[in-house]
Amino acid sequence: MKNQQFVFRILVFFGAFVLSYSCVKDTDFDQAVPVILTPTLEVSLVQIEETPVSFLNKSGAEVLSISDAIVLELLSEDFVIDYLVKAEFIFEITNSLNKAFDITMDFYDTSNTLQHTFSIAVNNSPTNTLLLTEHIEVFEAGTLDALKTSTNLNITITLISSPTEPSLTTASEGVIALKSKAVLFLNIAE
Amino acid sequence: MKWLLILGVFTTLQAQNKQLLYGFKDIPQQILLNPGAQIDYRGFIGVPLLSQIHFNAGLTGFSAFDLFANDGKDFNQKLSAIVYNMDAKDFFGFNQQLDIFSAGFTLKTPSEKPIFISFGMYQESDAFFYFPKDYAVLAYEGNHNNLNRRFNLGDLSVNAEVLSVFHVGINKKINPKLTLGLRGKLYSSIVQASSTMNSGSFTTVEGANNSLKHIFDLDMSLQISGLSFLENSNSTNEVDVIRKRLLLGGNLGVGIDLGFTYEPAPEWTVDASLQDVGFINYSKDVKNYILNNYLEYEGIQPVFPEVVSGQTAQEYWDEVKNEFEDLFEIDSTSTSYTKWRPIRLNSSVGYNFGKKILKECNCLDKSDPTFQNRVGVHMFAMKRPNHLQWALSAFYYRKLLKGLQIKATYTVDTYSFKNVGLGVSTALGPVQFYVMADNLLDYQNLAKSQSVSLQLGFNYIFKNNEN
Repeated sequence: MKNQQFVFRILVFFGAFVLSYSCVKDTDFDQAVPVILTPTLEVSLVQIEETPVSFLNKSGAEVLSISDAIVLELLSEDFVIDYLVKAEFIFEITNSLNKAFDITMDFYDTSNTLQHTFSIAVNNSPTNTLLLTEHIEVFEAGTLDALKTSTNLNITITLISSPTEPSLTTASEGVIALKSKAVLFLNIAE
Repeated sequence: MKWLLILGVFTTLQAQNKQLLYGFKDIPQQILLNPGAQIDYRGFIGVPLLSQIHFNAGLTGFSAFDLFANDGKDFNQKLSAIVYNMDAKDFFGFNQQLDIFSAGFTLKTPSEKPIFISFGMYQESDAFFYFPKDYAVLAYEGNHNNLNRRFNLGDLSVNAEVLSVFHVGINKKINPKLTLGLRGKLYSSIVQASSTMNSGSFTTVEGANNSLKHIFDLDMSLQISGLSFLENSNSTNEVDVIRKRLLLGGNLGVGIDLGFTYEPAPEWTVDASLQDVGFINYSKDVKNYILNNYLEYEGIQPVFPEVVSGQTAQEYWDEVKNEFEDLFEIDSTSTSYTKWRPIRLNSSVGYNFGKKILKECNCLDKSDPTFQNRVGVHMFAMKRPNHLQWALSAFYYRKLLKGLQIKATYTVDTYSFKNVGLGVSTALGPVQFYVMADNLLDYQNLAKSQSVSLQLGFNYIFKNNEN
């Protein structure tokens, strides 16, 4: 009986020791709001490489411009609309044609209303060496909203004629190439 | 998000090492760890649902305190410091076991050597996942400034299961030195999900024709079984389904535990066991999801309609779109699959000393003639999907009184180098109660603990040569 009392006492002591001793101190579990992630994504965008033939019509004469529309699928994702805080479109154009160009990027929404536009002037290369033109288009605040509502990008390459430069023919040398990427700055707070 | 994080910290725990219970010979549940353990009682009946309640959880790399300490530091800075401090070998683990019923009795055989039969049923939950480091870096940084970095998609490795186990074991003292044991098990898996065989990568490199080239090399799979009943049923139905699966209505498997105890001399005890050498075949309510595709992408190439070409812009765009849809297309099948149970190894060497000697000779003495103390070392190892989990313990076992035994352990493992545990078993008449907890030093502040383990239970013991 004496033993049992002793055992009981030990158990009570053990239990009380663990209970009184154990606690979660100096913590604040409310600070977990919000968790913020700020990844920056780089996405390959548009690539263009055109030789003189691309700028000639069936009868071999220069056209005024060439253009194409691209669906901006990525930008219309909810994820991008919710979390994109800034975007940069980085263009790198190399021209070795002896012809100046104006490259225009028009951003349209679903109802075909123009939301944003910009142009890049590309100089001619009289000696057919590679001329580099760089352009960074930054989308922030108002322009960012315009970008988010855009669903189509229309690219127009306009030929700039000058009396001192010859017209392009099938025999003209050189090529115009465009490389581009989008840098998307996200801020994900949940 | 907040609750997910808190849950993550407190319930993603590790497990399985029961260094306090292993070799604690007064507690019948130790024969679940080593079927060849020494048994010095005639029988036992575990109090249903209360004979073993075990809960163990742990994580490596950080503790809740690192993240939630009220230290005025910015929460997101602390989170990011933890993320960058951890690597893909860090893991979270959780294990829970509940004895539904258990009992054992001595069976006299014609050869005069008794064997001990034990049987029962328990329910177990186990969850385990590795920290997906590269996914976390991608979420934190994106691929910007990470040109040429190969984001390893194999960092995702998770496994979770709830199952019930029916078992019958035999234990026989072959000679005064050697005891052998074997336990057969029938597993009934209630739900299971695993994604442990992933590989592949996502890399961004400089492109040939454009500024960047994205390389998607996806080879991932997820296997789940037993989850579809949650989708289309009401709650009464769900209880019925779970009850049925607990009682061998789930995906079935078989396995064995093996073990021995050897005493080369009365002072020395060597024992070892292998648990869960077995497998489960998943054939009912099975879904396999496989994602295995490759794509290199450099960007969109506009097709200027003025240029003579056979393809329209829309056709070109559709083609790009299809490539991406194909890339992320997941195949699903309901082919059955088999998985090995996570095999566990326990082994210990102990030295016994300190026999109780009465000062006066008493022929009617019924006191305990056995050693009162045991010290030793114990080793635990377990096969996890990507690594071997291990733990080493030093232990001291002591019979304080006839009905009171204690065991203290000091354990070194992947979680901590300062894990002190204490277990107490006490008998009030034939009713035995035990409770064990480790990481006692961390009980000053549980938030600092990287693993928590607690088990307790009640048994009714039929002692040998009872007075």
